[in-house]
Amino acid sequence: MATEESRASSGRDAREAAAARAGIAVRPDEFQHRDGAAGKEKVFELKGVDVRYGGVAAVKGISMDIHRKDVTALIGPSGCGKSTLLRCLNRMNDLIPNAEVRGGLLYHGEDLYGPAVDPVQVRKLIGMVFQKPNPFPKSIYDNVAFGPRILGRKDDLDQTVEEALREAALWDEVKDRLDDNAFGLSGGQQQRLCIARCIAVQPDTILMDEPCSALDPISTGKIEDLMIELKREFSIVIVTHNMQQAARVSDRTAFLMVELDADEDNRWGRLVEYDETERIFTNPSDKRTEDYVSGKVG
Amino acid sequence: MSAVETRVHYQEELERLEASALGGLDLVSAALERTMEAVEHTDVELAQLVIADDDRIDGRYLEVHQSLITLLATQSPVATDLRLISALLHVLKNVERMGDQCVNVCKLLPLSGNEPPADREMVSRILTMGKQTKTLISQAKRAFEERDVAMARDLVRQDDVVDNLNRECFGLALEIGDDADRREWAMTMLLAARAIERIGDNAVDIGEQVAFVVTGLFREFEDASHPSS
Repeated sequence: MATEESRASSGRDAREAAAARAGIAVRPDEFQHRDGAAGKEKVFELKGVDVRYGGVAAVKGISMDIHRKDVTALIGPSGCGKSTLLRCLNRMNDLIPNAEVRGGLLYHGEDLYGPAVDPVQVRKLIGMVFQKPNPFPKSIYDNVAFGPRILGRKDDLDQTVEEALREAALWDEVKDRLDDNAFGLSGGQQQRLCIARCIAVQPDTILMDEPCSALDPISTGKIEDLMIELKREFSIVIVTHNMQQAARVSDRTAFLMVELDADEDNRWGRLVEYDETERIFTNPSDKRTEDYVSGKVG
Repeated sequence: MSAVETRVHYQEELERLEASALGGLDLVSAALERTMEAVEHTDVELAQLVIADDDRIDGRYLEVHQSLITLLATQSPVATDLRLISALLHVLKNVERMGDQCVNVCKLLPLSGNEPPADREMVSRILTMGKQTKTLISQAKRAFEERDVAMARDLVRQDDVVDNLNRECFGLALEIGDDADRREWAMTMLLAARAIERIGDNAVDIGEQVAFVVTGLFREFEDASHPSS
């Protein structure tokens, strides 16, 4: 049986190989650059990022560092651009016609939007879990094996599937019915299956877009526990409407809000405050953050 | 963005609980005034009234404490609201302790005898302590209501006056003479002075909570175990 350490290191090798194919250099741990202030390695560095859809700004001037093996929460009212921002981080916006990302967006120090970068490879390294569980209409096993098969990994597929399901805290619930259709699972189980499918290709970062908003409190609790387990190995960025969820699971929280121009014709999202979660929820610096997290302004 | 005010009922409830907790300080102030009157006239019956009335202060403590816990459980307060609730829980405890100190003084009065061999100098200092402590209590309340950290800090200076008077009482007790009755009376009155001095300390503690609500940082204004002077 693979030890924890050898698994982690083989996972890293695979990630580095994938990164190399994508034209992104993931540096070995010992050479990782560190953020002096936070003492944490950066996964993403955003420098004045603007996103436009058909020339209209959706978010403007976002600058923030996202740290490795942290859970980073993006919160803010509807339309503040937090999902837009999340989708920039694995180039999902490329799939939307007329979407345009400007400004600096570095992933492990490399330009994520550089000409040599293959967005398909990017999405292997930076996985995504969506609001509504979206398993494929296939067996539980085939859902998890889907990514590794596409990547041409034939050997040890059983082991890969088992490890991913174990990491997603789903193995014990499904080990006796791996051939059953995934649609037979509960919503919470389906969402954990999607997380298993995501980690089966050994990503470096997992993006979650309101992963619990369709789930009941017990399933939500399981996913939240899982996030805390997963951050030992992965960096996680989560968009959530549930402020208590951000408070419970995240290390750092970014608050975005909607800004209007003078004649209120255009609106876009901007980053108001980004800090340690504890600080955001006990003593935020900005009055607007205070009003939002206290639920005083909708 | 047009700001829509939400959670109006929660906000009103929090304001009501703050007023109710700080209203506890008015109850303490009234109890202290009657306690001082009882001390001045060795009025044991008035002292009994103060002791009986302490149930009102304890009742206020229990009622507001329970409502704050409910607010924590049901409303998930954060940021300033969370700091305010945390501070109010502290203030309630201070209010309850201040009430108990008034009771302590009142319980001492029967021990000093019906016609005690009172030393006028010492009684007058204790009465001045009472007056000064009442000022501290109302200043603590106002500083909290107005979130005025400077006013809260000033409580330390005001409290020094009470502390000095307490020390003077101690000096007077030392020199009270050889008469056993007089010595017993002086010892009892020293305990009373000490209880009033503690009320002043509680007022300073409330001031520290004001600073916490405003700044998010808790710092003791004065650290008894590491005095600055």
